[in-house]
Amino acid sequence: MALAPKKNKLSLWQRIRQNSLAYKFIAPTIVAMLVVHLIPIVQGLYLSLLDVRLTTLTLYLKAPFVGLKYYIEVFNAIFGIGEDGASSRVTGLINAASNTLVYTIWTNIGTLGVGLILAMLLNRNFRWRGIARTLVLLPWVVPTFVTGTIFNFIWLEQGGLANRILLGLNIVDTPITWLIGPNSLYALVIATVWRGLPFTTIMFLAAIQVIPTDLYEAASLDGANGWQRFRHITLPLIKPIAATQVLFGLINGFYGGYNIAVQMFGGGTGFAGEYADLLVPAITRQTWERHLYGFGSAASVILMGMLLIFVGIWYRTFRDSLRAE
Amino acid sequence: MGVSLSKKAESARPARATINYKAWLFDRGGDILLLILIAFMLLPILFLILGSFKSRDEFAAASSFFPSEWKFSNYSEMWTRVKFGTYFSNSLIICGVTTLVVTILASMSGYALARFRFPGSGGFSMAILGTQLVPGTLFLIPLYMTFLWLKNNLGIPLIGTNFGAIVLYVGFFLPISLWIQRSFFATIPIDLEEQAMVDGATRFQAFLYIIMPLAGPGVISTAIFVFLTAWDELLFAWILNVQTIPVGIRQFTGVAGSQNRYELLSAASVVIILPVAAMFFLLQKRFIAGLTAGAVK
Repeated sequence: MALAPKKNKLSLWQRIRQNSLAYKFIAPTIVAMLVVHLIPIVQGLYLSLLDVRLTTLTLYLKAPFVGLKYYIEVFNAIFGIGEDGASSRVTGLINAASNTLVYTIWTNIGTLGVGLILAMLLNRNFRWRGIARTLVLLPWVVPTFVTGTIFNFIWLEQGGLANRILLGLNIVDTPITWLIGPNSLYALVIATVWRGLPFTTIMFLAAIQVIPTDLYEAASLDGANGWQRFRHITLPLIKPIAATQVLFGLINGFYGGYNIAVQMFGGGTGFAGEYADLLVPAITRQTWERHLYGFGSAASVILMGMLLIFVGIWYRTFRDSLRAE
Repeated sequence: MGVSLSKKAESARPARATINYKAWLFDRGGDILLLILIAFMLLPILFLILGSFKSRDEFAAASSFFPSEWKFSNYSEMWTRVKFGTYFSNSLIICGVTTLVVTILASMSGYALARFRFPGSGGFSMAILGTQLVPGTLFLIPLYMTFLWLKNNLGIPLIGTNFGAIVLYVGFFLPISLWIQRSFFATIPIDLEEQAMVDGATRFQAFLYIIMPLAGPGVISTAIFVFLTAWDELLFAWILNVQTIPVGIRQFTGVAGSQNRYELLSAASVVIILPVAAMFFLLQKRFIAGLTAGAVK
C-alpha cells in the first residue's frame, strides 16, 4: 500500500504495481503535459534551427535548416556585436534585453521589499486589522490586462492621477512624462509591483504568523532591539518563503509584463517604445507581426537561457533554505 | 481610518515600568506608512470605478477626480458598442470548464504526488517544475501549428473555438495547480486514511470520502487560482483567435466606431473584475488558508 514511503527491497515491477493508483491518478496529467507542453517545447527547440517565416510556414518542420544562424543574430544584438551586419530583425531586441533585466530586478525588489514591510505592518494588533488585510489584497482580483488599462489612465501626463497627486503635494513643479521616454520602464515596474504585492504580502504574513512569539520575548529579555529581532529571528525564519517568492519573481520578471505593457502603452495599441519594451513583447512582435517564426523561437530559447542563469544563481543562494519536501 | 493598538498587543511586549515612547512613535509611524500603502493599493481601483461613470468628453479632458455628472449609461452602452456579451460568455465558459477540469485532475495528481513515492515520481515532479521555466513564446508556434494541422486534417475545431482554448488552458494550468494541491495534501495527516483503510475502505475510497472533504481550502485555492489566471490570459487567446474578454476588450481602443472610448473601457474593466472579486471575497479565508498551508506547514 506504500502508505509510508520508505526504501524497500521490492523489484521495480512490484513497486510499480504497488503504486498503480498513483499512476492512474497522474495519467490524465501526463497526457495533458505531453500535448500542451513537452511535444510543443521539443518542436519549438527544433524550430529555432529552421528558417521558418511567412513564405515557409506551411513547410513548418520541413523548412530549410539554418542551424544557429538566428541564435547568432539574437546574441549579437543583445551584446551589441556586429551591428553593421545585423538585419532589421534584431533592432527591437537590443533594448528589450537590458530592459528585461532592469524590470526583473526592480519588480523583485519592489514586490519583496514592500511586501515584507506590509506583512509586518499587518501582523501587528490593531482594531481595523481584518479590513486592512482585505483592502491590501484588492489588486489581486484585478486581471493584469485591466491593471495595464488602469495605469494607462494613471500615468497620463495631463490629468493623470499620479501627476495630479505629485503636483498637489508639491513634490514636482511640472507634470512628469510617464508613458514615453526613460520613465516608462518605471511606470511599468510600479504597475507590476502594485499587482504583485498582495500575493507576496499574504505569503510573508502567513510565514510571520507562525513564528512563535516567545522567540521575540526571549530575545527582548536578552536585550535585542527591534532591528536585531527582525534581523536574527524574522528574516531567517521567512527565508524559505522568500526563496519561493524570488523564484516566482524571476519567472514573472522574465516572462511576464506582457499583458500590462500591451494595455498600458500607446493608448492600448501596445508598443512600449525603446525604453520599456521587454523581451516577451518584442519576441511576440517579431514572431507574429513580422512572421519570423524561426527567429522568434531562437530568441525565446535565449530568453530561457537568461532565466536559467538567474535560476542557477537563485538556487546557489537559497539552497540551504529549500527543504526537501 | 483609526488604527490603534489593542491591549493584547501591548501585553505581548516586554514589561516596562515606563511607557516606551520610542516604541509608541515607531508604531504610529507604522500606522501612517500602512495608510499610505493602503491608499496606494486602493486609489487605482477607485480611480477606475469613478472613471467608468464619466462622460466621454470629461474622461478625455481628465479634469477632475470625481465625475461631474454620473453617467450610468456607460454600463449599458459598453455591451452594445463592441460584442462584449459574446466575449464575456466565452470567457465564462472557457474559464469555468477549465477550472472544473483542472481542479479535478490536479486533486488526483496532487494526491498521488503527496502520498506515493512511486518509480518516476521524482522525474514527474521535475517535469512539472520544468514546464514553468519555459517561455510561452517558445511553444506557442508549435501549438498553433499543431492545432492548425488537427483542424485541417482531422477536422477538430481547435482554432478560434472555446473548445480549443479549454484544451490549451487545461494543459497550461495543470502543472502549477497540482503543485498547489500537492502542498495542501501534504499537510493533511496520513493517519486518517490509514484508519479508514483499516476499517475496510479502499485507497480510492479513502481519498474520495476522507481526504477530499478535508481538502476544501486546497481545492478552493486551486480553483480560484486557475480561474483568475485563465481569466487573465491574453497572448494565446489572441494568437489562436479565441474571442475572450482580454482579446475583445482591446476593441474599445482600436476599432473604428468604438475608438478611444476609455470611459466604456473603464466600465467594461469594472465588470471584468466583478466575478473574480465576488468569488474571491466570498471564499477569501479558505482561499488564503489553502494557498499558504503548504508553504508554512
